[in-house]
Order: sequence, then structure tokens, then C-alpha cells
Amino acid sequence: MDIRQENDVEEHDSTQHYEVLQELGDCYTSVGNSIEAQRCYEKAASLGPDEPNPYVGLGVVALQKNLLDDAEIAFRVACRLDVNCAKAYAGLAMVARQRGDYKQAFQMYLKCLELDTDNLTALLGLFQVSCQMASFAEITHYLEVYLNMHPGDTSVMFSLGALYMKDERFERSKKILRDVLALDPANKDAANLLEEVEHNLVKAKQKGL
Amino acid sequence: MAENNEKKIGPVVSVLIPTFNRPRYLSEALASALRQSYRNLQIIVINDGGEDVSDIINSFNDSRIVFINRKENRGKASSLNEALIRAGGEYIAYLDDDDLFYPNHIETLVNALENETDCLVAYSDLYKVYCKVMPDGSRQVLSKVVEVSRDFDRFFMLYFNHVLHPSLMHRRDVLQKTGLYNENLKILIDWDMTRRLAFFTDFKHVYEITGQHYTPTGESDRISVQQRKDKNEYARNVLAIRTTRPAKPWTKIEDMSIIFVADLLNQQAGETLGLIWHHTFYPYKVYLPLPEADFNRIDTDMPNITLVPVNPLSSYAQKIDTSLGGCEGEYIVIVPSGFPVEQMWVEDSLYALINSSVSRQGFELEGSTDTFWAAVLRKGDLQYARSSFPNLSVRESLKAADIALRHPRPEELPFQFDILVKGVRMAEKDGNWAKAAQMLEYIADNHQNKLWMKTLAAKAFYKTGNFAQALKLSSEVNQQRPTVNTLLLEAKIYRKKRDFGSAIELLERAGQILGDPIKKIEIQSGNP
Repeated sequence: MDIRQENDVEEHDSTQHYEVLQELGDCYTSVGNSIEAQRCYEKAASLGPDEPNPYVGLGVVALQKNLLDDAEIAFRVACRLDVNCAKAYAGLAMVARQRGDYKQAFQMYLKCLELDTDNLTALLGLFQVSCQMASFAEITHYLEVYLNMHPGDTSVMFSLGALYMKDERFERSKKILRDVLALDPANKDAANLLEEVEHNLVKAKQKGL
Repeated sequence: MAENNEKKIGPVVSVLIPTFNRPRYLSEALASALRQSYRNLQIIVINDGGEDVSDIINSFNDSRIVFINRKENRGKASSLNEALIRAGGEYIAYLDDDDLFYPNHIETLVNALENETDCLVAYSDLYKVYCKVMPDGSRQVLSKVVEVSRDFDRFFMLYFNHVLHPSLMHRRDVLQKTGLYNENLKILIDWDMTRRLAFFTDFKHVYEITGQHYTPTGESDRISVQQRKDKNEYARNVLAIRTTRPAKPWTKIEDMSIIFVADLLNQQAGETLGLIWHHTFYPYKVYLPLPEADFNRIDTDMPNITLVPVNPLSSYAQKIDTSLGGCEGEYIVIVPSGFPVEQMWVEDSLYALINSSVSRQGFELEGSTDTFWAAVLRKGDLQYARSSFPNLSVRESLKAADIALRHPRPEELPFQFDILVKGVRMAEKDGNWAKAAQMLEYIADNHQNKLWMKTLAAKAFYKTGNFAQALKLSSEVNQQRPTVNTLLLEAKIYRKKRDFGSAIELLERAGQILGDPIKKIEIQSGNP
């Protein structure tokens, strides 16, 4: 069939079928239909054999089923296909966390955030692992970077407020918690933490700090 | 059998399926033609001297099939002509041996031609399927896009094709006017036919997707693709098509006569004529006023030249006057030897004249100067000026006859739609999606092709982050004529809104189209 005119032609997209299946898999994952999600990801993987995302999806489905070994294999395949696949590292971190290997989880979350400072799952995961390990030095930096890009994210603001308090940076903690309450006056956790921070501030002033 | 009789109403449609060495796909193509909801069919399969396909034809055991088994390969145009001679249908439809009709294809087009229009031709939209051919020959679908969905545009059709051949249906009797397929052409034979059809009828564009044609990734073995690689052959075919003039009377196109005036039949004159040949796509005939003694000096393959005998002592104006007497065209172009002829050299001004509602007006051509004066005029105006003021120069006589001459304004030029779409493409390339979206909305409101432009605008709005507008447009398109791309786009927006149920529903529909659209349509229509 002979027809060709530059303007008449939509962009050739050879990944459309793959994209539909990947999107569908992600939607089914979101509604907890792991059987359909797995079916879609497997088909997507056959259509896009070099794409890491179907394997990330398969890893998430395995995680939902608590099949940690299967999840790890899937996330590792995704990493092999794309060494810069942030989601795959976040997946590996979640597997490690489930296994109680916080050190490994911490490293994988960090690796994910190096590639994608915007990844909220990794950020909050890192915060939780940091709490479990009582190590907060690096997480503060990532939370601050994230907040610069997403001002007004109260869950991250609250986490940062808690970290500042642990570091005895009470003034900063007080300010950010007040900001949280301005945005979300019903946030009880923030109100309680602010009360604690203000109490610590008074104590610190009394000590002449 | 009962079903065959049940729907055997309406005119007979002859479906022509030429085939050459693609038995695997022929079987699928033929099955799709036989599975039509419209049953009153004559299906003519022409094997053009390729691998024997008799077993495939016989396996269908359907009396509606006529099989022509040619022993030697004589090309697609010749195959179609042989089939057309055998065709008994009131309407003709075409299917390539590796493409598919959806079950609604014939019914949709017959309904349009019988009930919705006076046009003699209708066409629908088709999916272009990008696929990977697997080792066993099966085709893995990678994407399906409606690549061409352009409303009928006669001026564009003269320039190039915009109607896919398997989407076309026309009355059989219109071939008495157009003639059969040109067997001297190797490629673009379908454009040659659609272009000739445009001389006699408008085309009705039906906004339904009624079939699919395949494009394998990587190196294509399609004959037309292979033959396109020979650039000289391609150019030869384009020229042959653009200079084809079906027999008159033409009902939809007015002829153009080019009076070419040369003092001497020298190299410059030859070059200008050659450029006219290469750069004119509107149907024309060249009138060459020459002393008879010079006639035998003309040695050219250029078609559509009429030699006009003139006195060797004739003036420039007299040569034009003599030629004008024999000109067939409604539009007359006067052009001197040595005039700079480039692409669109005459069509820009001609288009402005065709669409001008002002009488007694002509348009000078781009590059026209006092020395090389060139213009396009209505024949009646020029005749009036020359008969009223025969002793003046042509230009002066027009002035004296009150026939205004000017250059076309930008908005009067042809292909406004294409110029704007090119601007959109550039904006998209630069990442300026907001500008692209704005332009697309303007085009949709002012230059037809509403559905197509809406589809592109939905994507542009999505890219700008205006999801509300993207959702509105994609949803409107999906209600009228859903495609995989627009379903996918709408689903992505619902997913962003965390409405996963709606997103899943849309994505499942897209997945069904990508999987097996025929099954889907059959389920909906209740056909087996």
C-alpha cells in the first residue's frame, strides 16, 4: 500500500502493546488483583524483553504474596536489565526489610534515592529502617531534598520534624511541625510532637543552651 | 446456509484480493472477507503467478469466491484489471493478501454509499499494525495506530495519496470514466486510481476503523517497499501519475492550460519545460506556440504538449492569442521561457484563483517580474481582455479590461492544514506541548479533520499536565471512535486520579483491540 506523507503519519510506537499491559498490570496491582496483575506483567515481559518494569511489577506481586525469594529474583532481573532502575532497588530494599536485614535494606533504599530522589516509597522506607537502626545522618539529607521538590508533603515534613528533634535541632523542628499543623490542623501526631519539642526547648533554655 | 440467505439484500459488492506468494496470510485475509456481516459478496482472488493457493481457496468451500489462477506474474495493476473485468458487483472493494477486514467493513461502506452521500467513493479508517514476524511466520502485534485519517482533500489528492487502498470502496461504473489500473506503473498504482477518481467524485470519509494492515518491523519484503528503493523509478512513477489525464468530461476538476512562450526553441526553453513537467501536479496541458518549421525540433517524452502553429513573425501577444483559441482549460497560465519554475510554482496562485469569489481577478505567479511576467487567469477574463484590447500587451490589456492582478496572500495558499500540522510537529519536537495543543484546537475548529486533531490535542494537553482537558478530549474521541492510543491515554489519566476501575476497563478494551479485534466485534454484533 503506497501512502506516505510526513504530516499524516503518527509517531511509530512499537511499544504500545507492551505499555497497555504494563499499565494494566500496575492498575491490577493497585486494586490488589495479583492474579491479573501477574498475567499482564508476564505478557508485557514477553513483548518488551529488555524492559525492567514488568519484572518490577512481578516483584511487587510476589512481595504482596510474601514470596520473598521470587520477589528478589524478579527485582534482580530488573536491575540486570537496567542498572539505573530505582524501583528495582526499592523492591530489593523491601525484600531485605521483610527479612529483617535492615543494613541491606538501608543500602538498597539509599541506592534507589541516589537514582531517584523523588521516590517517596524509598524515602519513607529509609526513614523507617533508620528508626529501626537508630541511624539518621543520611536520611535527613534525602528528606530535605525531597521536601524542596515537594513542599507541603506533610508526611515527609513530619518525619523531618521528628529527625530534627532527635538531633536536638528544636527550633527547626518546631517550625516545620507548625507548618504541618498549618496545612493539616487535625494532625494529632504533629501536635503531640510539637508539644514535646516545645517542652524540650524550654528545658534546653533553662540549661542555658 | 440460512444466515447466508437472511442478509442477502442490497447491492453486490466485489472484493478484489490479488495475491502473490503469501499463502499463510492469504488464508487469514480471505477468511476476514468471508466473515463480513454484509453477505452479498463476490470475492475475486487473483493469484498473480505465485505459489499455488488452490488448496487454500478450496478449503473455504464458499460459492462466493471466484478464483483466477494466473500462470505468469504480470503485476498487481494487471491482476486488479483482470479481476475488474470479471467483477459483477455494483461496488468494488480491495483487500491485500496480508491485510484484514473487520466484519463491519463492507456493511459500513455500503451503508455510507447507499444512504449517507451522493459520492461515488467512500473510505474508512484502518489500523496500521506494527508487528514482529516470529520464526513460525506468525505476527506478534507491537502496536496498532490509525496513521492516516484525513478528510477528503482533492487538491492534496492531486499532490499525493491520503486514502489507504483496503479502506476504499467505489461504484464499479465510475471505472468507465477513470479507466482501469495503469499497468505501466510499478508502484503507487492505488494513488493513480484514487487521483483519477477525484476527477469525477468527492470521497465520503467514514470515521470507523474497519480493518488493519500490517507493517513488520525491520526489513520489509513488501513489493511496494522494495520498489520504492529505486529513486529514479519512484520519480518516474510519480511523474506518470501526475500527468495522467482521464478522458473528459471531468465533473469535479477544471482543466488548466499552460501557454508557454519562447522566442527561441533553445536549451533554456527545454529546461523550463522540463521543470514544468517535474513540478506541476495540478492537471494541465502545455500549449507551445511555434512556427511549423520548428515542430520537428521538438524531441521530448513530456506528455500533454500541444504544438500551436504560429506565424514566425508573430509578436509575444499574438502567440498567446493564437494559443488561447485552442486552450481547453478553464484556467490559463501564461509563462515565458526562462521563468523560475519550482515546486508549487503555479499551484499557489491557481489555488487562490480557484477559491476566489471575486470576479475579474487574476494572480501573478511567485517570481513574476516585468521581464519574466507570469500569471494565472480565468479563460473568460483573458479572452475578454484580449478581444477588447488586442493591440495592447497581454498585461496592459488585462489592466485596461479592469481585471486586477495580484499575488496571493498567505492565507489564500493551498495546504494550510498541512502547514499548520507541520508547525504542530515542530512545537512537539521542541517540547512546546502547550503551543502544540493550542494550534491543534485551532486546526480542529477551522480545517476539518476534527477527530484526528482532537486525538492529537488530547495527547498534547496530557503532556502539558492539563489532565482535565486531556481527559475531556480523549473521552470524546473514545465515545465516537476509540483507538488503542486514545483508550490508553484516557486510562492513564484515570490512573493518575486513582480511579483504577475506570482505567482497567479502558485498558482491557485497548488490550482486546491489540489481541483480536475481530473476536471482539463478532461478540458485540452477535455474529459467529
